[in-house]
Amino acid sequence: MTEEEKPKPNAIPVHSSTEGQVGGSIPQVQPPAKNLYPKPVYSKKAGKLLKTRLWPTERWANPWSQPEYRNAAFQLAAIIGGDLLYKYLLAGTALLHQHLAARGIPSGPLADPAWTGAALRTGAEVAWTAFKVILVVGVINVNGLWAVWWERKLSAHMQSRLGPMYAGGFHGWAQTALDSIKLLLKEDATPADADRAVHRLAPAIVIVPAVLAFAPVLFGTELAAAKLDVGALYILAVSGVSVIGVVMAGWSSNNKFSLLGGLRAAAQVVSYEIPRIFAVVPVIMFVGSLDLAAIDAAQRGYWLGFFPRWFVFWFPAGPIALILFLIASLAETNRVPFDIPEAESELVAGFMTEYSGMKWALFFLAEYAYVLLACFMMSVFFLGGGAAPLPFLAIVPSWIWMLAKALFMMFVFMWLRWTLPRFRVDQLMDFNWKFMLPWSFAVVALAGVTIAWL
Amino acid sequence: MMEQIAFYSMAGLAVVSALAVVTLRNTVHCALFLGLSLAGVAGIFGVLGADFLFASQILIYVGGIAVLMIFAVMLMGRASDLTLRQVNQEWLAALLVCAITAAGLLRGAKAYLGSVAAGAPAPSTKPLGRLMLGDYVLPFELISLVLTAALLGAIFFTRKETLPSGGGK
Repeated sequence: MTEEEKPKPNAIPVHSSTEGQVGGSIPQVQPPAKNLYPKPVYSKKAGKLLKTRLWPTERWANPWSQPEYRNAAFQLAAIIGGDLLYKYLLAGTALLHQHLAARGIPSGPLADPAWTGAALRTGAEVAWTAFKVILVVGVINVNGLWAVWWERKLSAHMQSRLGPMYAGGFHGWAQTALDSIKLLLKEDATPADADRAVHRLAPAIVIVPAVLAFAPVLFGTELAAAKLDVGALYILAVSGVSVIGVVMAGWSSNNKFSLLGGLRAAAQVVSYEIPRIFAVVPVIMFVGSLDLAAIDAAQRGYWLGFFPRWFVFWFPAGPIALILFLIASLAETNRVPFDIPEAESELVAGFMTEYSGMKWALFFLAEYAYVLLACFMMSVFFLGGGAAPLPFLAIVPSWIWMLAKALFMMFVFMWLRWTLPRFRVDQLMDFNWKFMLPWSFAVVALAGVTIAWL
Repeated sequence: MMEQIAFYSMAGLAVVSALAVVTLRNTVHCALFLGLSLAGVAGIFGVLGADFLFASQILIYVGGIAVLMIFAVMLMGRASDLTLRQVNQEWLAALLVCAITAAGLLRGAKAYLGSVAAGAPAPSTKPLGRLMLGDYVLPFELISLVLTAALLGAIFFTRKETLPSGGGK
């Protein structure tokens, strides 16, 4: 079908009676379309009126939102239909099984209620998992909106400015939402000499591990999308994969600043991952498990009835491990003072230089997702997770404590970012290999001493 | 059924991306496919229920070794790396060596071909730790010694000679 035959949604209908007249035809003034919605269009090639089908919802809809209405109708139908299917399919198959058995016909697996029940349970499990994934992705998205606004306000107040004030009314609360709409509408530019496939894939490789790493994260006591026995190791492992995406972005842009940023990111993240993991080892030694729920449960209770048994208070290993983990997490998330991969005064924007619009926003979203992840990890590993700081405060639900601790650590992240200058590349590497690494070994030894002493 | 689908897709991913590593011309693409292949192996561990191996494979190979490979390819790369083919005239001999090795491995692994692995990941960290610091403590420590020696050797060989005094820094 060529372009002109296609029924255009907003095209003014052509009256077929004028088309057949040759020469001196009276120029007819087209009446303005009363209805915005398409009327049947005459196609010369097909020799007939082409019908344009309308969904019932589109009769009243703004033409721009037609796909949205259609999707909403599909989703509603899927929810209702799935529910009905689940309810009646079991009963139906049981009935069929009975009938077949009464007539002596051997029934296949489809008519077997046990088999169908298992299949439906698997389907329900898949649907539930998908729902949890959507919830976690929602956490990451909302965190991006909130954290960017918060960071802008915090940085502004630290520098005696006001920050966003107008969008939305109260203190520019809608600023990031409108910014993301702007990013959606921006042109998605790719450099002419870029490796197109790698360039396109890089933001996905950065964001997917960020979402995956959130699977076993505790949002409150026993409140996690997945319960993994190796939860702590899993988070540390999966979040390290993102750097491949960063390096891909740096290389595929075919730009020396991007490449330098990507190489710096690779060197930095691989180096700082070692002290970061060693900083978690004391916690694992205290608990004897890699399961986040077990780590959370081990920090319950109080010394002398009021002093919380959080691992940060397990002297001397706890506090040192927390500080090491905080520093290494700052480096892992490429934030100031460790933001040399995207140092704007040296490298334009590092590996993100050649990205625009939503792809650029995905890098940013992943960065804030990792900040949130690091904050939740510090909250679970060192700050007691969902445990209340004082016994009588235990009536407050655990997820509020978890969130409060995570947001406090996020405040620390932003505080450090806006008060410290950036490291130089060689200083950064020296700091890691000559300070962080020896201390991270020492902290494991100190944890042994702590266990022997307690 | 689900386990089999997951296992074969992961195995296929590992094999196809490993083939891409040796056949593609662009070395950076090869390095990226190496990462994908190693991730496929991690997926196989996950499907077979070895959760600790799964996490450590991702941590060490995908997040560490693959990144270092990509790093090296990008840092040391020449322009010809992107277009030159990787195989020379001896590909037939290489294929033969590979076939013989594969046949030998298959003979070795044949005893376990029929055995069924656990579907879901079972907690394996604690027993692994007990074995490593219990029955297998000597090989474990020997491997650590070898790795330390390798580390020291790498530092020794890459280190620049510094002048006796004054000129070093």
